[in-house]
Amino acid sequence: MGAVPKPPKGHFNVLYFASASSFTSREYDTLPAPLPINKLFDTLEERHNGIKDKILSSCLVTVNLNYVDIPDNNNNTNNQDGVESGLVIQESDEVAIIPPVSSG
Amino acid sequence: MESQSNEINENGCYVALTHEHLRVQETIDRVRSPQAGAIVLFAGTTRDNFAGKPVKELQYSAYNSMALKTMLSICKGVLARHGLNSVAMIHRLGTVPIGEESILIAVSAPHRQAAWRAGEEALEECKKHVEVWKREEFEGEEGVWRANRDGAPGQIMEKEAGH
Repeated sequence: MGAVPKPPKGHFNVLYFASASSFTSREYDTLPAPLPINKLFDTLEERHNGIKDKILSSCLVTVNLNYVDIPDNNNNTNNQDGVESGLVIQESDEVAIIPPVSSG
Repeated sequence: MESQSNEINENGCYVALTHEHLRVQETIDRVRSPQAGAIVLFAGTTRDNFAGKPVKELQYSAYNSMALKTMLSICKGVLARHGLNSVAMIHRLGTVPIGEESILIAVSAPHRQAAWRAGEEALEECKKHVEVWKREEFEGEEGVWRANRDGAPGQIMEKEAGH
């Protein structure tokens, strides 16, 4: 892909590759930060209907070049005051949707 | 975002992404070492068919920074596990016509057994993990994104409704 512009303040970029890029017809989206990681897929679904089922279900996710787990809906870990624990995406983080690779 | 680098050279490991033709002699020379008794080179080339269906060409795209990071990690791993002298892994991006190399992996080792094994292991690790994607263009049909992991034909992804 060409150079992706730095996101505006209070936002982060989600990079799309391969089938994710074909499905969305985009190389990236810019989303408002902060965003808890377990809300990422739902947020993308709002913008791209069907993406969860058709694409994201078979993808991995990286944040700042590290793979992260996406907790599923049945796996919430709530601490005492009801706030879900887990990674929160911050402004200017680089998030990427990684479809099954076909290198070599 | 940090500046785009397309190669990393670290502690006997060389990894790179390029849109240019891959250079076999140069890659072998990269891993050549007075302490090595063997150099093994793997070249992956574009085949003219997938499961009997004629393939017109392959197009490769990458998440460059992740691909380089992962390639380096794989190279460091095989270097350590097999006691290699040096490893080089170069992946070509963009359109790769039939018969041309899309990937070169070269390893050098004091003895040949380690070189054979490490070369194979490096390729298998690469195909599992490196963040590069291959799109097969068939004659007269829409291209498909391959997925190494199932060894099955790629899925044609429908565009989302409204696009």
